Amino acid sequence: MRRNPGLWYAMPLILMMLLFFAAPLVIVGWYSLMPPRSFALTADLGLQNYRSAFTEGYGRPLMWSIIGAALTTLVTALLAWPTAKILHHHAGRWASLVTALIALPIFISESVRLFGLSVFLMPGGGILAGTLNAVFDVQIGTILNTRLAALVGMIYIHFPFMLFPMLLGVAMIPADRIEAARDLGANRWAVLREVELPLAAPGLLVGGLLTFVLCLGANAEAAILGGRAVTVITAAIEQRFNYAQDWPMGAALTVLVILVTAALVFPALRRIDLGRIIRR
Amino acid sequence: MAHSPAALSLTGLTKRFGKTTAVNDISIDIREGEFFTIVGPSGSGKSSLVRLLAGLDAPSAGRLTLRGQDITETPANRRPTAMVFQSLALFDHRTVGQNIEFAMKMKGVAPEARRARALELLRLVRLPEDYYPRPVTQCSGGERQRVALARALGSDPEILFFDEPLSAIDYRLRKTLEVELKELHQRTGKTFIYITHSLEEAMVMSDRIAIMRAGQFEQIGTPEEIYRRPMNRFVASFMGEVNILTVQQQGGATVFADLELPAPDAKGTFAVLRPEALSCDAEGTFCFDAHIVQKLMLGSRTQFHLRAGTATLIAEVAAGHGTTLRIGDTARFSFDPTDIVWVNS
Repeated sequence: MRRNPGLWYAMPLILMMLLFFAAPLVIVGWYSLMPPRSFALTADLGLQNYRSAFTEGYGRPLMWSIIGAALTTLVTALLAWPTAKILHHHAGRWASLVTALIALPIFISESVRLFGLSVFLMPGGGILAGTLNAVFDVQIGTILNTRLAALVGMIYIHFPFMLFPMLLGVAMIPADRIEAARDLGANRWAVLREVELPLAAPGLLVGGLLTFVLCLGANAEAAILGGRAVTVITAAIEQRFNYAQDWPMGAALTVLVILVTAALVFPALRRIDLGRIIRR
Repeated sequence: MAHSPAALSLTGLTKRFGKTTAVNDISIDIREGEFFTIVGPSGSGKSSLVRLLAGLDAPSAGRLTLRGQDITETPANRRPTAMVFQSLALFDHRTVGQNIEFAMKMKGVAPEARRARALELLRLVRLPEDYYPRPVTQCSGGERQRVALARALGSDPEILFFDEPLSAIDYRLRKTLEVELKELHQRTGKTFIYITHSLEEAMVMSDRIAIMRAGQFEQIGTPEEIYRRPMNRFVASFMGEVNILTVQQQGGATVFADLELPAPDAKGTFAVLRPEALSCDAEGTFCFDAHIVQKLMLGSRTQFHLRAGTATLIAEVAAGHGTTLRIGDTARFSFDPTDIVWVNS
């Protein structure tokens, strides 16, 4: 042991990770194998909660969460790419200001922002509908309490998490590679496909993962903007743990979410050279 | 040569960036199959010029025609030209083969045909065929150079542009690549337009050289013409170390002002003397005494740094001459009027 002081220096971190990361995971995993509605951790293991997860209507919330996360990731990526390109090309005072404007809302509570958006979208006297009515004499309804409203909220909240890694990614594309590709006969799409996307891939993957994983665990958007139109998996898990007092079921749903996340994160991370991003 | 058609014609080509004019009203015809080199110090506008030719930037004014066809507005990807960048700009996320095949892939050439051509190009730039599947990141500096060249040739361009591709390479490899490039030019018969800050490099490879300063061509000519008959001090001094003596009228006589030496038959305001034109044997027409400040052995030659009158001069003599001269000595040096190149500005 004396020959390996690094291990000793790492000990506090190792202990912390074991205690606060590994142990809770083990406990959640263990609970998920207990009989329904039990509160004890015993040796009486079984898969009945997982069977229920797919037969008793939990598939739908899980599906909504995955579809919502995927759609949000897609839309934010489509919005963030041109934004990142423009910000990168016009680096300077204006770009800094725009970047700050996008970043600042992160420091405001998510619920506050979502309630703000809710006020904006309200029918009748809501900010959008009211203004359109007063100024242009146009009457509109509202998307509030629909799946679309929940999705808009998710996109609004998670856009910065996609944009900033993507900015790093875009910064990793040397301008001369784009010029070389143009010079060799590549049109705009070919430049995007052959040069820009592959070179910016680490940023895209990090942004995509971050957004997807955050969206998979998001429930405030659905609760505040989606009304009763959509139940996401996090809401179902919360309900199992609190209201239903069915810890094993909640734990099984949690494990499923973790598995979905892991199935995405691990293969993706293997493809990214994180060192390259950090060095830039 | 006058009857051969112009591969590329520049007419009043101009590029302004805000208030500065990087390329100022340049007109020239570049001949088919010519190795044309543009030499200039940094900031002379040579890189801006080649970017206009490649279509990477749009000119502020002027026209550009390729074999009689106006390409001024044609974007880079639709010009039948290719460029070897100073940074090489290789696609590091691709293999050697994928880099070379890039232009062919853009044209929709079938994979087997692409591969066959890429292997051919590898041979042409003297890289082993087993480099084909390697990532370019595993190639050395010289190998990357060759991949960049093969990639540019892969688009089968009418004209190849080179933007100082050898500037980051060590001396010996650079010399090798210069010769290879010249041979490649002869073998492919394509028109090469080459940018460099080194007149020495230009001399080795070029059919014609243009010396560029402040956005304009100072002089255009064969390497021989540029070397023998530089138009002014700027062109002359670009060749490397030269001595420039000012001629003045003093009391009715024409003299080399710095050396206080009579200069009869002066044909210009400045006398350009190459270091090898100065002899330490005092056999020349113009003799002067000089203080030896420095003595450097250059292998086949010996270089002396001299102070004579108010002038600082450099003399280079063949090895075996001036062996007895030491730093600190005062010795008699001379030169002949036939070795003087006269310029007026």
